[in-house]
Amino acid sequence: MSGQAAVELKGGMYTLLSLQIHSIEADAIELALKNKVQQAPGFFKETPIVIDLSPVEHMPELDTDKLLQLVKDYNLVAIAARVNDKSSPAACSIKLPVLDAGGPRADKSADTAEQDKDGAKDTPATPELTSGGVIDMPVAGPTIVTRPVRSGQQVYAQGGELVVLGQAGPGAELIADSNIHVYGPLRGRALCGVTGNTDARIFCRSLEAELVSVAGNYKPLEEIPADLKGKPAQIWLDGDRLVIEALK
Amino acid sequence: MSKIIVVTSGKGGVGKTTTSASIATGLAQRGFKTCVIDFDVGLRNLDLIMGCERRVVYDLVNLVNQEASLQQTLIKDKRVDNLYILPASQTRDKDALTIEGVARVIHKLKQNEFDYIICDSPAGIEKGAKMALYFADEAIITTNPEVSSVRDSDRILGILQSESRRAKMDEEPVKEHLLITRYNPNRVQEGQMLSVDDIVDLLAIPLLGIIPESQAVLEASNAGKPVILDDESNAGQAYNDAIARLLGEERPHRFMEAQKKGFLKRLFG
Ligand SMILES: Nc1ncnc2c1ncn2[C@@H]1O[C@H](COP(=O)(O)OP(=O)(O)OP(=O)(O)O)[C@@H](O)[C@H]1O
Ligand SMILES: [Mg+2]
Repeated sequence: MSGQAAVELKGGMYTLLSLQIHSIEADAIELALKNKVQQAPGFFKETPIVIDLSPVEHMPELDTDKLLQLVKDYNLVAIAARVNDKSSPAACSIKLPVLDAGGPRADKSADTAEQDKDGAKDTPATPELTSGGVIDMPVAGPTIVTRPVRSGQQVYAQGGELVVLGQAGPGAELIADSNIHVYGPLRGRALCGVTGNTDARIFCRSLEAELVSVAGNYKPLEEIPADLKGKPAQIWLDGDRLVIEALK
Repeated sequence: MSKIIVVTSGKGGVGKTTTSASIATGLAQRGFKTCVIDFDVGLRNLDLIMGCERRVVYDLVNLVNQEASLQQTLIKDKRVDNLYILPASQTRDKDALTIEGVARVIHKLKQNEFDYIICDSPAGIEKGAKMALYFADEAIITTNPEVSSVRDSDRILGILQSESRRAKMDEEPVKEHLLITRYNPNRVQEGQMLSVDDIVDLLAIPLLGIIPESQAVLEASNAGKPVILDDESNAGQAYNDAIARLLGEERPHRFMEAQKKGFLKRLFG
């Protein structure tokens, strides 16, 4: 320890989840937040996020204090706000450090999230900076988990597919930006397309899930057709209708 | 090379201490130099089941704090050669243990050429349980045939996979064994308990043994004697089978069938 400075400034790039705000109505924001967080409470707990205000930054009616409180109530930790114009009303009123869009732009719907802490394999998802300051998210290779995913564990396949060869126990969370394949019994939660990919699907050999979700459209266990339980199934989105059907 | 085996479960009261005592005794009986460590700091129990509570002078916390030597702390079993007990402290709180301190103790045991080190974990999934499983090479997941116990076992398996030393060092994973304890085939048949097949299907790890629910366990622990020494009892025999399997022998599983009612009972209901 001795000989080393007590603090050191270092540059670094981090991938962060960004929360894009599309409404100025506190109730609407709260409802949407609640839905998101309920899908994967463990995943969102105390997650650092950037609040993307750009869609609403010129609306003076937006109550930014209230927004921050809501975000806090749902156990997210806002660390910065992102705007296009640093002199916009929202940028001036929000009590957070403000990043302007001259910096890296979050890709349309493909917000990126931090890698999970529990045993998921690293996926090569380092964003590349291209001219014009736009981040191109490379499509990551699949994350393959060869051991069972246990209760309380979470695996997030960032930017790609998740393949689980064993089972996913009750209370386990499987999360992927793209498809999820489970070859053992699926007894926990499976959420695919979490960053907005509505074409993502879940495939499993034995459907016993507590909850399944595609791009935020979810169904809990009670709404999964009883005749499909324990059967091979696929789950996909037809418009905004979540389809759960037998795999033949 | 010493092999470190943790006996763990998540849920409390499922039979971890009973199992630790019998497994350690059985290994020692087969000639392996064995030490069984009570990690349940504050609630020591193992010394009672091993019948050595009056001989406890120093304990694991003293050893971790370097207030006593290994020789002073280890209690040599009076019945079985090669068997040593490292008792927990009754007075200290759970935070008295540190990874560095436990590492030192394990290192000393290895230097003393122990073949097996059995770690009796406290209940829960908090620090105490994590401390007990951290150094494990193998784990005996002790599970009762009920949903809450199976669920806790699943969680403990997750912790073994992500928070054990082997996981952190990216070494070969901890070898997992399922031990179903307090199994009551009659209650399984009546649908009041999960069956062996249900549990194996839910946890998907290899089955080490099935210990039947048995009055002999209570009698043995009241007598301060591990039940494996009662070789007349079902439970004692089942622990013996489990040890044989742990050492690589193949043995068919027993004590899974419901008791057939006797002729008179059948006649009179
Ligand atoms: N096979 C068995 N048949 C009948 N009773 C048993 C059996 N195994 C354990 N028991 C009884 O269950 C109780 C709990 O056992 P034990 O102390 O071994 O559990 P534990 O998992 O170590 O508990 P804790 O979590 O409190 O440390 C004791 O009263 C013990 O006698
Ligand atoms: Mg105990």
